[in-house]
Amino acid sequence: MDWDQVELNPKVVHAVKRANVKTFREVLSLSGPDLQRLTKLSHADVHHLQKTVAAAVQTDPAVTALQLYRGECLFLEQHQKLSLGCPVLDSLLRGGIPLLGIVEIAGESSAGKTQICMQLCLSVQYPRKYGGLEAGAVYICTEDTFPTKRLQQLSSLQHKLRPEVPADVVKSITFCDNIYIEHAGDVDSLNSCISKRVPILLSRGLVRLVVVDSIAALFRCEFEAKDALLRAKHLLAFGATLHSLSHRFKTPIVCVNQVADAVGDFDLVQSNFGLLDKKVLPTLGITWSNQLLIRLMVSRTRFSLQEWLPGLAAQPWHLGSVVRTMEVVFAPHLPQSFCYYTVSIDGVRGVKEEPAS
Amino acid sequence: MMQRDVASFAFAPAVKVRLISAGFLTAKDICDLRPTELSKEAGISQQEALEVLQEVRRGPAEQGAAESRLTALELLEREQALGTVITFCSALDQALGGGIPVGKTTEICGAPGVGKTQLCIQLAVDAQIPGCFGGLGGQAVYIDTEGSFLVERVVDVATAAVQHCTLITKDTEQREALQSFTVETVLSQLFLFRCHDYVELLAQTHLLPDFLSQHPKVRLVVIDSIAFPFRHSFEDLSLRTRLLNGLAQQLTQIASQHSVAVVLTNQMTTRIGQNQSMLVPALGESWGHAATQRLILHWEGKHRFASLYKSPSQREATVPYQITPHGFRDVQLPDPSVTPADPSLTPSLNSRKRPRGEEGDPSDA
Repeated sequence: MDWDQVELNPKVVHAVKRANVKTFREVLSLSGPDLQRLTKLSHADVHHLQKTVAAAVQTDPAVTALQLYRGECLFLEQHQKLSLGCPVLDSLLRGGIPLLGIVEIAGESSAGKTQICMQLCLSVQYPRKYGGLEAGAVYICTEDTFPTKRLQQLSSLQHKLRPEVPADVVKSITFCDNIYIEHAGDVDSLNSCISKRVPILLSRGLVRLVVVDSIAALFRCEFEAKDALLRAKHLLAFGATLHSLSHRFKTPIVCVNQVADAVGDFDLVQSNFGLLDKKVLPTLGITWSNQLLIRLMVSRTRFSLQEWLPGLAAQPWHLGSVVRTMEVVFAPHLPQSFCYYTVSIDGVRGVKEEPAS
Repeated sequence: MMQRDVASFAFAPAVKVRLISAGFLTAKDICDLRPTELSKEAGISQQEALEVLQEVRRGPAEQGAAESRLTALELLEREQALGTVITFCSALDQALGGGIPVGKTTEICGAPGVGKTQLCIQLAVDAQIPGCFGGLGGQAVYIDTEGSFLVERVVDVATAAVQHCTLITKDTEQREALQSFTVETVLSQLFLFRCHDYVELLAQTHLLPDFLSQHPKVRLVVIDSIAFPFRHSFEDLSLRTRLLNGLAQQLTQIASQHSVAVVLTNQMTTRIGQNQSMLVPALGESWGHAATQRLILHWEGKHRFASLYKSPSQREATVPYQITPHGFRDVQLPDPSVTPADPSLTPSLNSRKRPRGEEGDPSDA
């Protein structure tokens, strides 16, 4: 800790160093009387010391909500959001994904989680006025190999998905070059990835989105039921690292989670069911959900595209004929709500219409 | 006063021990000495001796408020005069005895998504409601440790609160007050601090008294959440307990010295019992004693409930609530004779004390 950056009487600094109190953290973690005892300074001196150190730690000034609303606050950007690439989905989220915090996408397999993540990796590369952040993405795979062919297909059809963006802008972005794919087979390599390699990409401005697909796989496999405490500790540390990355680089973090059957009364009590009836809940428990800013759940409905929206299904770019739902389970600025979406050849699109039945 | 024990003064423990073992047991023994004499006799430094003498020689009127004499009635009157911050959910306000009490600390616990941040944002807006509408007309401080303070939501809640007051405005005093109760002024009187880890939170708490002295109109301080920065990176749990206890003490002192309501949010964690798991508030058993009042928000199926679990003055109670686009509200019962014209506005403000003699006007609801 840098004692030169605080304005203190040299006698005080000397007393503190002699008492072996080395960091600002220690100064603030000790109580007033303890510090007095260790440094032999007077009550007034210790009080002044703690306040001076506190001011050196908390350097951001107080900001009013009005300044935040007007965008006058540089260290807390709240108006810019990352678009999902579809106006219907964006309006479900009131603009898109906020830049600071962890967003979770949970759902059963083949509900479309990976498709949504890939679409985000493309959408982040657009200019700001089209809802992007003008940088690439890091995609951390923990389960299957990354579907590179599908990504290439999606990037070649971006002009179809995003007709509102001028064609020359779309053409100028080399989508696949800006997506960095990492593999992490266990918790340790995942931690080393997010604490070493990802910060380098972020600090160079090469990426402004981090996707982890999925977190469930590693944490559920490596820890047995009896290791609940150990797993909780690792999850908390992992979450803290992600939060600090998100804040340092103003970058959204998207984590994919699996779901498991809701068993017994306990799950009923603790869970936030959301609007739709469901028999499954996201895994990893309350330890993980406490760290999330937004939880989205996706699932397949029983409606097939043909019977519900025959006009839409006939068009050549709709594949995978089942309609899906994306639901906001919790978010600080969004009500519980959901919308329907489909996965087509050019990407994920929200559907505004309701089913007839 | 002269017979007062040396041990009862607010000196550092080391100094007290030295004074007592040197034979100075009451204030009378000390007050006539000179600093150099005291310093030599007791083996303390000159500076310390000077401080001791200053403290001992101060008359009772100059000593802290804690040492002056107050009757229980005076204390009760003082507490009631401080007021409360309403939650806009009349059932909850009633259970709390009017609202969140100023001068005390209240803890709000709950699982993710149940509405802790929503309630905090509602309180931050409600603290600013002008006095003639039954509010405190104060400012609010919001310390965000999780990053869940999103200003667009504050705008929603503030807009609804201003609209509600506009609709129930009756007299000129209220009309005038409305001039300075707009969404913009509400936003401008809500101070936000962002703390990313526990060191920043400790630092912010050290800086808070000065901020509150410079902004004497603040009536509410929210810390959302106090759990988040303390739940990781602590190998030594006893250090965590010590820090949390210290923080709780500082906040209790700030609440009473600056007449602010301090609201802390806490997360829930799983406790594995013999046959079953339970959700309990996080941060350990000893933290349960930290706040004066504890409110637990929870789900029962698709419905949300708020339970008052610990309170020195109110009975335990559980009330239903909901989160609407306008903020934290009562659950409207489907009774046609009681349903107000606009179900999203609650009658909770009307049941508050009003300065005029407009008693129970049925058209209020």
